[in-house]
Amino acid sequence: MPWHRQAVILAVSLALGMGISAAILVAAGVPANELLNEFVLQTLFDMQSLQAVLFQAAPMVLVGLGAAMAFRARFWNLGLEGQMIFGAIGATAISFYDIGPPALRLPLMLAMAIAMGLLWALAPVLLKLRLGVNEIISSLMLNYIAGNFLLHLVYGAWKDPKDSFPYSPQFRPFERLPEWFGSTGPTAIALALGVALLAWWFVGVSRAGLYLRFVNANPRMAHAVGVPVRRMILAAVLLSGALSGIAGFVVVAGQEGRLTQAFYAGYGFSGILIAFLARNNPLAATVVAVLVAALFVAGRNLQVFYQIPFSMVQLIQAIVVICVACSDFFIRHRIRSVQ
Amino acid sequence: MNAFAIATNWLGNAPDFAVPYALAALGLILTERAGVLSLGAEGLMLVGALAGIGAQLAFGEPGIALVVAMLAASLVSVLFAVMTILLRVNQVIAGLALVFFCQGLTSLLGTLFGWTNRAVDSFAALPLGPLAALPLVGRLFEQNIVVYLTLPIFLGVVWYLTRTSAGLRLRAVGENPQAADAAGINVTAWRFAAVLAGAALVGLAGAYISVVSTKLWIAGMTGGRGWIAVGLVIFARWSPWKALVGAVLFGCIEALIPQLAAAGVRLPQYFVLMTPYVVTLAVMVWVAVGRRGSDGEPGALGEPYLREERR
Repeated sequence: MPWHRQAVILAVSLALGMGISAAILVAAGVPANELLNEFVLQTLFDMQSLQAVLFQAAPMVLVGLGAAMAFRARFWNLGLEGQMIFGAIGATAISFYDIGPPALRLPLMLAMAIAMGLLWALAPVLLKLRLGVNEIISSLMLNYIAGNFLLHLVYGAWKDPKDSFPYSPQFRPFERLPEWFGSTGPTAIALALGVALLAWWFVGVSRAGLYLRFVNANPRMAHAVGVPVRRMILAAVLLSGALSGIAGFVVVAGQEGRLTQAFYAGYGFSGILIAFLARNNPLAATVVAVLVAALFVAGRNLQVFYQIPFSMVQLIQAIVVICVACSDFFIRHRIRSVQ
Repeated sequence: MNAFAIATNWLGNAPDFAVPYALAALGLILTERAGVLSLGAEGLMLVGALAGIGAQLAFGEPGIALVVAMLAASLVSVLFAVMTILLRVNQVIAGLALVFFCQGLTSLLGTLFGWTNRAVDSFAALPLGPLAALPLVGRLFEQNIVVYLTLPIFLGVVWYLTRTSAGLRLRAVGENPQAADAAGINVTAWRFAAVLAGAALVGLAGAYISVVSTKLWIAGMTGGRGWIAVGLVIFARWSPWKALVGAVLFGCIEALIPQLAAAGVRLPQYFVLMTPYVVTLAVMVWVAVGRRGSDGEPGALGEPYLREERR
């Protein structure tokens, strides 16, 4: 099928998804004539909202890339949230126990976040490669375990003694992402874009990226022509965990400035959605991630102005995924009426 | 509290925790035996849980509430069936999308309708005559009607799958759709039916949690039990009776947690809350270590079927 017909089908499915979402929003109490205003103008042309979008986009780009890496190796890494949590815990541990001189503090936190995210991804991939344990279940279970461990820390040993809220003490200024144009948002997004470029190089230019394409197309054939399939899967999943770990670092050292109890909520599915819509392409994932970030910010505005629960954002994401997934059928098959 | 009272309470509470796992796993087995990989259990349980509470608030009759919950879960699963069976969307993507769709939808509707945290009445315990007066195990025979009904439901599904020609057709569709099609079985129709019937049982499991067990609705209240049920089915190698054993095991573990706390055993709270997930992981590893081949797994699990497609 020519590319322009594919594009038309994709556009129709996206429009359908947004149409259904808009109908649900109207049914939930948003005035129909305010939709465009709320979603597009308020979100993208308001300086403060735009800043919020950039803030939100950096971790989104990172989890999206993380999901794309694992999916390229045909590995369903649903443990993005757990890996993010452990990345954030690793970064916070460096701050909490005062490890390293102030000048090296931030790089140390980043390194620790990468290491912890990677470690949390190691278990499901080893279990899969060695024993054939279903990675969907194992990585999801590890999310719940990580979430409870996070609560254990922020309600227990790491609780800020200054007040009674469940979060860690505020990071010191040198433990936060440096400000640029007056906020940490641009720094975070610059970091995320740098990582996206690296990911693009890895996937599109490097030899490993080529191998990974073999593995994605047909693991058995890849093995037959001498691609180290298991090592490639291991590497891709560990990379995925490391990227999620960086996402956790960006949230605690950027947006939040401390470890909080539910900072990871919504990122897991968003990462999967971004990778799916971008067809595991790093550059496309970056663009989609910014759009998803805009959706998150719009969702928060709706919560404030119309008391629409934030779960609306998740519902809209799911509807868009369902519509696009279904459109694939019409791209791959031609429907003709039978006489 | 003495050890005897603790053991009595523990045994008495275990079925209440085991029933949702058992029913959800049974529903999943029914669907997956027809060759459709069903990852949507977590979402369908939430749909059942919310619909059950809604119906209970409206009618005040728990029996009707459970039926409404089953119908609601079946209705939502039509979406999944259309995606996977007709449009041949990747079954993992479709399952995940279904879970997130249901999580968003139930959380939104629960808030908009104001059903959150509203307590409802439910079934009373039915003591089984003299059995309930037995020492130690007596409270096992003082359960609500759904617990007692779980066993006949299992018997019915097993009988259907293994002793009827309809059950044979369903399994044939899951093992080898090409052969089933050649034998004149409508693969699409059977898979559709299996998805809807399985979803009804999963919805019943969800409604048990909200209507019968906790007696209220909180967004996301299933807390990963649907995923644990998916793991349980793999653990049971798609056999209903083994799934029932697994469900009872999980029920016993979950029921033990509050009893330990009552006994004064001081455990870190959040590590205790991790237990079901850690146990699931451990069980998956244990099964994988001892596994020989892919015994019990339906041959065409996760494979879409289209008659004209070349293999």
